[in-house]
Amino acid sequence: MDETVTAKKKWTDGFRFWSDREDLLGPLFLFPAVVYIVALVGIPFIIAMAYSVTDVTAGNTSLDFVGLQNFQAILKTDQFTQSLRNTIMFTVVSQIIILVLANILALILSTDFRGKWFARFLIMLPWATPIALGTIGWLWLLDSKFSPIDWVLRYLHLLGEPAALLGSGKNLYYLGRLELAKASIIVIYVWRMLPLSAVILMAGLTSIPQDLLDQADVDGAGFWRTLFQIKLPLILPIMSIALLFSLIFTVGDMAVVYVLTRGGPVYYTQILPTWAYLKGIESGALAEGSATALFLFPVLLAVAIMVLRFSRRTEVT
Amino acid sequence: MITKKHISLLLSLLILGSLILAACAPAEQPTAPPPEVIIETVEVQVPVEIEPYPEGTELKILQWSHFVPQYDVWFDPFAKNWGETNNVAVTVDHIALGELSASLTAAIDAGAGPSLVEMVFAPPQFIEGLHDLTDLNLQAQELFGEQAETSKMSSYLPATGIYYGFSPGWVPDPANYDRAMWASVGYPTGPSSYADLLDGGKKIKDQLGIPLGLGMSPELDSRLAMRNVIWSFGGSVQDENECVVINSPETLEAVQYVSELYKSAMTEEVFAWTPASNNQGLIAGELSYILNSISAYRSLQDIDAAAADNIGFGPALKGPRGDQYASAHVWSVYVIPKYVEGPELEAAQAFLLHLTANYNQAVFNAKLYNFPAFKSTVPELDGWLTQDPFGSRPADKLLVLNSAWDTVTWLGFPGPANPAIGEVFGTNIIVTMMAEAAQGTKTPEEAIADAETQINAIFAKWRDAGLVGCK
Repeated sequence: MDETVTAKKKWTDGFRFWSDREDLLGPLFLFPAVVYIVALVGIPFIIAMAYSVTDVTAGNTSLDFVGLQNFQAILKTDQFTQSLRNTIMFTVVSQIIILVLANILALILSTDFRGKWFARFLIMLPWATPIALGTIGWLWLLDSKFSPIDWVLRYLHLLGEPAALLGSGKNLYYLGRLELAKASIIVIYVWRMLPLSAVILMAGLTSIPQDLLDQADVDGAGFWRTLFQIKLPLILPIMSIALLFSLIFTVGDMAVVYVLTRGGPVYYTQILPTWAYLKGIESGALAEGSATALFLFPVLLAVAIMVLRFSRRTEVT
Repeated sequence: MITKKHISLLLSLLILGSLILAACAPAEQPTAPPPEVIIETVEVQVPVEIEPYPEGTELKILQWSHFVPQYDVWFDPFAKNWGETNNVAVTVDHIALGELSASLTAAIDAGAGPSLVEMVFAPPQFIEGLHDLTDLNLQAQELFGEQAETSKMSSYLPATGIYYGFSPGWVPDPANYDRAMWASVGYPTGPSSYADLLDGGKKIKDQLGIPLGLGMSPELDSRLAMRNVIWSFGGSVQDENECVVINSPETLEAVQYVSELYKSAMTEEVFAWTPASNNQGLIAGELSYILNSISAYRSLQDIDAAAADNIGFGPALKGPRGDQYASAHVWSVYVIPKYVEGPELEAAQAFLLHLTANYNQAVFNAKLYNFPAFKSTVPELDGWLTQDPFGSRPADKLLVLNSAWDTVTWLGFPGPANPAIGEVFGTNIIVTMMAEAAQGTKTPEEAIADAETQINAIFAKWRDAGLVGCK
């Protein structure tokens, strides 16, 4: 009996000792995350940086230093500049739409209504679905010949008839028409990132102290004044974090364009990640592919630092 | 003001709409059982003495998932049986063809991975990381006779004088057309020239509202189709000495032709195709003419025999001066990375000879999708094409595939498939050139000049690396 008590006490003491050692536990808990980031992000990133300043190819992996020659070579090509333009355009437009819609969605979801949990579940689905699978679903929805969207439009007499609003052709060729292809890519980025942003903003909204809102109500502030003068300023720091997440995911994503258009029609939807893949992996020019992939890194780093500083400065304590 | 009632109503409508759409989805078509055909599977042994391999010898094969599933069902035990006979532990992995380049890049970079990789195109950009298979190729030519030029030029790099791969087979890429539609406009055996294609295709679109489909999208079939037109009009990306010759009057004529064909007989869908799109369109009766291998037809035979009967196959189309060229659809090009050594390397080469010696089984189990690089290994081929063992109606429907022996080309034709040609292919420069002219965003002359600039830069880079000729 005594032995059991002693053993129990020993264990309890040990647990207390370790629980109070933040200096040891902190690094211990951080260790797996650090290993993960170093192995799967840090090392490939360093390899890509090394490749971008050498003449490495898919077949010849010896690293002969060539300076900034690869960056100069890619900057001379129209495909690269068009990919860069498209990457920036897709990102900026989709982030603006996401910010507006995420705010609306967060406001709706933070009110009480019947079936709220189900609505939240549905809205989270695009984020929970693997991006490649989700995009394949969109590929079917936007198919040139068999698009269900076109089918519905034809059923509603909006398409496929001489005087139809959307034209007399049987299909809209979402991915074959230049501007529609761009719009389709933006729609899918929005569809993909909206849930995450909305949930982050919703968390921000629910953290606003109720007494502040009650006070505004008592003072006679209406919906719009409460929104613009109380809620939005208070969730601005968290909104900037949502924007940062969404921005980085969008800039770095290649699945949507690769699955949907592979950069076509022409190079109208080509973006830096897909162009880097086509150059580096499919064509064997690893060095130019790496230079293309890394091109936006300094810009993204600067944006990330700016956003984080902004969110800290606007934090209300 | 949005109220709870409004949100609940909106949600209910959304759910109801989804349920209605789901209910309207077409039911699955019943499928007919595939015909049961059996081939004698007595394996031919290569008349070369093989030393028994030491204990623990492995052969890891990585290859593309075949478009005719029966092929993989046959291949895996075939390879393993050879391994058991020769004391080699054989493993076979199948991956999607789009992942082959990434897998080989990773393997060479890591210095470890599969012993044999079957590529779907010539992979000359990997040459410095691959074993020189010149001896193997010469040995095969000695054993099995002349090798098809399309296979040879997809595994040999003149600038280095070595074979970086071994190609035991290739796949014809015939025209697939809707027999009823083309008969209705006066072409019962389909078009035989690009002039016929324009004339008949336009009539079918005007009269029946059905377009034809030569893709101009960044995908496999489009890349090949556009090259076919250029070759048959007398143009090419490079000449036989690997000098860039894309900017020629012949290419201009080809680009102008494609623009006219697009306006007369196609729709914008051709800019957005995936590799499966043209097959889907033809099978659904929504396209009158495409270029593709016979794999979709084989699938259709199992699903809807009557629809399969209505599919006809045609030869490479003649250009304005009678030139008649069409690329192979894909190639079987095996490569051995340099990290493979010793008995594993010997086993890999011996297995390739064994596969080549038994290529009649490969052709048969691919349901005549594969063609041999060494014709002597499949003496039954003419008989199978005359009397299709897989139930084509008429039985000699596939006999036209035989014409591909005379018209088949390769990436880089009339020169070799070098790394520059591979990069031009991989970065979609030719389909983009055609699409820009067809859409009118550039004139044909501008589109060709832009393509030439890009191609010259790519050639210069690989020339500096010593892998492309024409200094």
